[in-house]
Amino acid sequence: MTKIVSELSMNDLNIKFFEIMQNENNAEEAASFIFDSVCDDVTLGFVFEFHHGLKTGLTDLIEGEKEEDDSFKIVNSPECDVFGLSVLKKTQDTNCVCPNCDRPVSATRFAPHLEKCMGMGRNSSRIASRRIASNSREPTSYAGLLSDDEDDADWAGGSLHTERRKRRIKNNNSRKPAKVHKNNSSRTNNGTTNCDSNDGGATYETMSANEKKNLLLQICGVVSEHTKKLCTRSTRCPQHTEEQRRALRNSVLEPSTPESQTMGLTADDAGSPPDSSPSSSCSSSSRKRDRHRAPPKLKGKRERNISPNSRD
Amino acid sequence: MTVNNTIAHQRLILTGDRERFKDLLMRRLIECGWRDQVRMLCREAVKENEGGNVNFDTLVSRVTPRARALVPDTVKKELLQKIKTHLLTPKD
Repeated sequence: MTKIVSELSMNDLNIKFFEIMQNENNAEEAASFIFDSVCDDVTLGFVFEFHHGLKTGLTDLIEGEKEEDDSFKIVNSPECDVFGLSVLKKTQDTNCVCPNCDRPVSATRFAPHLEKCMGMGRNSSRIASRRIASNSREPTSYAGLLSDDEDDADWAGGSLHTERRKRRIKNNNSRKPAKVHKNNSSRTNNGTTNCDSNDGGATYETMSANEKKNLLLQICGVVSEHTKKLCTRSTRCPQHTEEQRRALRNSVLEPSTPESQTMGLTADDAGSPPDSSPSSSCSSSSRKRDRHRAPPKLKGKRERNISPNSRD
Repeated sequence: MTVNNTIAHQRLILTGDRERFKDLLMRRLIECGWRDQVRMLCREAVKENEGGNVNFDTLVSRVTPRARALVPDTVKKELLQKIKTHLLTPKD
């Protein structure tokens, strides 16, 4: 019974439904209603999907990790560069003060400096011990001066200076008899200028006038008061003053004054240097002395004088 | 009137045609890129919510109205037309 009724009702409903749907408005309205519900379903489905991905971390896996923007931002502040690093220069406190000479030394150069300054390294200690030995052997009046100049040589550094020192030491040893002789005989021997000029006169004396001129055109030529050698550097060497050079040229090229003018010296300055007059008088007095030992020594001295030139 | 609508709806569900329409609509929306737009909307909604911990209800309430507005007219018209013709054609 019920089944029949239901079948009837289904049929009835169908018929009724089509009757209603024949109306255009009803059909459209029903269609839009159905569309809305379907559309809601679809939207909800998508949102579900997204929410599921979000909660389970699927979205992150699919889309990949987001890049950090912070690391690529350009830092825009006055005391930093674009990477955010400080551009301020390193301050003074990186410098160390040498305990020996009280000079400020950069930390990176401190070890090399100590090696030089205190004679701690291999080469330096050898040189320093030799220096100490030579100092103790002749505690002369110019010991104070010597230490000052030696420091300068240390600071300039380089193999040339060490070579020069070795030569100086050799020089000192070989010169000992002469020194004794000089001390015994001299009346006006009272300081460094005297022995300088003495030595300078002796070395220059072994040359002819032409040789002297050529030599002095090329090198500074000032006689060092410690090494007692000619300065073999250029005529503009910074260790000796223009005054010293002029004085030496005056004393050495004394007999021929026009030559000194060809050396680039002005005539009005020629008489002014204070060293010139005592040295010249001294050299004349010492020439007699040197004549005794000049011939046998001449060969060795020539060699020693010429070798620096050829090297330069 | 609403009775008529529910009747029509029920009829579609009974016959299984509603699922067909739903599949069709889904396909059309994916084709036209609507789904990606909705995904972007969801992401924005998540970002707006501080902490990233989003309730599903808030997500739906924020996204759905805008998502409905984004559905292209052509898709909507096509679906409406098909449903209407389906309603009008009587079954044997």
